[in-house]
Parts: sequence; structure tokens; C-alpha cells
Amino acid sequence: MFAQSNRWFWHGVFIAVLLGMALLIQSSSSHINYNWNWQVVKPYLINTDPLPVFASEEGTISANATGDLVLRTDAGDEILNLSAYPELSVGEGDLVFEGEQLASQPNWQMGPLLKGLVVTIEISIYSLILAIILGLIFGLMRVSSNVALRNLAITYVEIIRGTPLLVQIFIFYFFIGTVLDLDRFTAGVIALAVFSGAYVAEITRGGIQSIPKGQMEAARSVGMTYIQAMRYVILPQAFKRVLPPLAGQFINLIKDSSLVSVIAITDLTKAGREVVAGSFAPFEVWFTVALLYLVLTSSLSWGVQRLEKRLAASD
Amino acid sequence: MTRDYQGNDMIIAKNVEKIYPNGCHALKKVSATVRRGEVVVIVGPSGSGKSTFLRTLNQLETINGGSISIDGTDMYDKKTDINQLREEVGMVFQGFNLFPHMDALGNVMLAPIKVAKRNKADVERQAMELLTKVGLQQRMANYPSNLSGGQQQRVAIARALAMKPNIMLFDEPTSALDPEMVGEVLDVMKSLAADGMTMVVVTHEMGFAREVADRVLFMEDGQLLVDETPEAFFDNPSNPRLQQFLSMIL
Ligand SMILES: Nc1ncnc2c1ncn2[C@@H]1O[C@H](COP(=O)(O)OP(=O)(O)O)[C@@H](O)[C@H]1O
Ligand SMILES: [Mg+2]
Repeated sequence: MFAQSNRWFWHGVFIAVLLGMALLIQSSSSHINYNWNWQVVKPYLINTDPLPVFASEEGTISANATGDLVLRTDAGDEILNLSAYPELSVGEGDLVFEGEQLASQPNWQMGPLLKGLVVTIEISIYSLILAIILGLIFGLMRVSSNVALRNLAITYVEIIRGTPLLVQIFIFYFFIGTVLDLDRFTAGVIALAVFSGAYVAEITRGGIQSIPKGQMEAARSVGMTYIQAMRYVILPQAFKRVLPPLAGQFINLIKDSSLVSVIAITDLTKAGREVVAGSFAPFEVWFTVALLYLVLTSSLSWGVQRLEKRLAASD
Repeated sequence: MTRDYQGNDMIIAKNVEKIYPNGCHALKKVSATVRRGEVVVIVGPSGSGKSTFLRTLNQLETINGGSISIDGTDMYDKKTDINQLREEVGMVFQGFNLFPHMDALGNVMLAPIKVAKRNKADVERQAMELLTKVGLQQRMANYPSNLSGGQQQRVAIARALAMKPNIMLFDEPTSALDPEMVGEVLDVMKSLAADGMTMVVVTHEMGFAREVADRVLFMEDGQLLVDETPEAFFDNPSNPRLQQFLSMIL
């Protein structure tokens, strides 16, 4: 009973703190005379401006045999049926010139922010897949008994972890990208993948080393090769254990992808910067950008949690 | 592989030396021969090298001197495929070492399918037979976490048998078990012995040694000191170190 009411009290505290913070943001923005105008953001997300329909040749608007309004050329050819468009800017009998607007068409288009979001998702997915491959290879090299392989893996991990991602992106874009003639998108994806791959390699190594030695011995004792033992016995178990840190790393990857905007890839962050310049609503735009990132990262962690539950069910 | 070897010596170890990378000299000129169908029990104090010796017999440990041949094949011959040799030598561990991400049937079926590349339906039939043989027909779909220690060890025995080995190695198979489960595992081992399996067993179960073993070996401090029939070993020990050891445990 006591514990119950205590719990509700702390829930109350939690909500009160959130409200207090909202109030703080509100009051500090009014302090600088900021007018919140969330409406401004919408066209940058989804553009619903109707598309104009133009006359491709000069002619006359008239009714055809079935009663639809059509555009006819002077020669009498019917070139456009207007019945499909709900909003007409011309009427029967009008003469129209080439290029004149005849009607408008309802339209849904991704605004710059959504386009940026798509680019961010693309970059994240490609680099995530590459990072998994790199991380698996280097993680396995890291636990190998071969000194050359092991040292190569250590060198890779140390170099990548010891230098800032921003610098790596510049190196990939300006040096490696130029040498190998990569476009900026590819350079960005590879930079992110190589960066995350180092962390995935460490996570992989930790996962493999957390599996008791007896598992490898049991697998080898029934005649499996090292590779078979890894594939069928060690890695499936390690995978389950590394899922939580791996998910954290992938969330970092999504967030770090914002840095590729420095090499002029129009991802969500770059789109945000461009939109802010023209919208006069910097606060709303940046809050929206943050929310979109949050949606991405939280759906990823939700997905991983479900996967974890599914895997846990088997033991 | 010399699968057509018809000689009677299944294991010949000659002057085996093992020095661990940390300098520990675990085996000192250990020589022993195990004949087809024989059950050999190894006893000795903790740290005397029993596990190490057993593990050299399927090359979980490499040796630093001497030679080992299994069923007529020199283990350290350049032409010997160690993975193929290991298929012939089943091993059962003190800690079971079952694959926790697979159920009992999966544990037994994995190697025959992935290593021996046998037909899945055949393997499944054989795996069910083996699990029935060790008394686990009701537990085939259980994951290791849902099996008792004794049941896990019996699955581990079935898993080793699934590769149709000619030799079975047991490293203290009952030491990690609650006392009431020791019997069920020893019974399975006894029936294996009765079927004529060649077995090398490290154990502290002196009753098993006396009843089932053809020969009992005594190791101490990396040396093989005694190699006798159970009668001579237990009733008439001549080696003073063995007398001392027996007086402590019996
Ligand atoms: N992996 C290892 N590295 C170094 N020393 C080891 C290792 N395994 C065992 N030893 C040492 O080798 C000796 C024999 O060990 P072991 O074969 O496990 O004995 P037993 O099984 O008879 O108890 C012991 O002194 C032990 O400390
Ligand atoms: Mg031991």
C-alpha cells in the first residue's frame, strides 16, 4: 500500500519535471520574443501544393461527344481530356496558348526534410550492412590465433577509435574518394561503415570471448573445423549476447550519419540547415529534425528488442 | 584415413610430453596402449595430468614430444586430417558442454549433418535412437537449460556417439553431477562398454573402475606410475604412491 502510493508520487514528480521543462522552453523563447509557428514546418515535410497542368499546344477548349471538356488544336485533334482534373482554370470556348495553365492537379510530394530523412535512412542502412560485414571479419581476425590477422585487426580498431569521425569522413572524401573516384554518397557510406565496423569488431570479439571455452572444444571434438565451430556453435550464441551493445552501436551510427552533411550530402541534418535558412522558424525546424531522428532510433531499438525476445524464447 | 586398420591397438601413446606455454610440465614420458574394446580407467590426484593426457588423445592439446596413433593412424603425420580423426574419437566432458542454443535432438544431429554431411532424415532417426538408448526419449525437444545434469550428460554421450566413433573418451563425466544422478550416467557408460566400445575414462568412481575396467592406470605429477588389472590395482597395489592414494580415497 505504502509502496504503491510512493510510486504514484514519483510518477507525478516525473511529469511535473517534464512540464516544468516545457514551461522553461516556452518562457525562455518568449523572453527573446520568439513566435512559435509550427505550421511553417509542414510544407517542408510534405508539400501539398497542387501541380499545374499546362497546354502543350495552342487550341480551343470544347466539349467532346461524351460531354467532357477537351483541348482541341486548330486542326481539330483532341489532345487533352480535362474531365480528370477537379480544378479547372479555363471554361468551354476559351482559346488557349501553348504553355497556358488549364487546370491543377492535387499533389503529394516529399518536402526537403522527408527527402533528407530518406537519404539518412539510405546511408544508415548501407553503412550498417557494411559495418556488420567489416565488424564480423575483423572481430574474427581479432580472436584468431594468427598473429598477422590479429595485429591487423588491432591496428584497424585502434586507428579508427583513436581519430574523430569527422576527420575520417574528410579523409575518405578528399583523399580516398579522390583516388578511387568515389561519389560523395559512397564516400560517406564507406566512412561511416569503416568507423562503425571498428566498434562492431570489438563487440564481436567480446561476444565470442564471452562464450565458454568448452563450447569450442565440444564442437571440435565432434570433428568440426574451426570455421564450422564458429558458424554453428560460437557465433549463434555470441550473436544473442551482443545484440544489446550492437543495437546501441547502430543507434550511434544513425546519429553519426548527420556528420556526412559536411561533405554536402543532403541528409536530414543538411536538409534541416537548408530549410532553416529559408523558413524563419529555426526552433521548429530543428525540433522537427530531432524528432525525426528520434523516430528512426527508437524504431530501431524497438525492432532489436523484439528480436531479443524472440531469440530468448529458444532457451 | 586408414579405416581398414584391423589391428588391435586402438590407441598407442609413446613417451608423450606436454609442456603448457606457461611452462607447466603436465605430461612426462607417458606411454600407454589401449586395445580394441578395452575399457581403461585413469585415476590419480587432482592436477596429475589426467585431463591433459585424455585431451592429447583427440588433439585438444598438442604434444611437445613422443607420438600418438589412433586406430593405426599417426596423429602427427602430415597427411593426417585431424578433423577426420576426431570424428573417430568421441569425447564427454565434465561440464557437459552441450550447445545451449539447440534442443537435445539438435545437439545430437548437428555434427552428423554439418560434418559428416549425412542425410537429414537418417540422422534424425539415428539421433532419436541414440537419445532413446540413453533413456531420453521424452526429452528430445528440451533445451539444455531445461535438463538436469544427469540428463545433459546423457545427451552429451549421445552427441558424441552420433559421429559413430570407435573410441570414447570420458573426462570425469560424473564429477559435476548431484550424487543421485551419477548412477544414470554410469549405467549408460556400462552399457556402452558391454557393447564393446573402446573407452578411456578419467573418474573418481572406484566402483565403476573395479566393475567395468579392463585396466586401471594411476597418474601422479605428470607420470603414469601404474597400469594394472583392477584386481591387482585395488587389492594388491605394489606402488607406494598408489597405496597412499588409495588409502586416502577408499
Ligand atoms: N591450459 C593450461 N595451461 C597451463 N597449465 C595447465 C593448463 N591445463 C592444465 N594445466 C596444468 O597441468 C597440470 C595437469 O592438469 P590436468 O591435466 O588438468 O590435471 P587433472 O585432470 O589430473 O586434474 C596441472 O598442474 C595444471 O595446473
Ligand atoms: Mg581433470
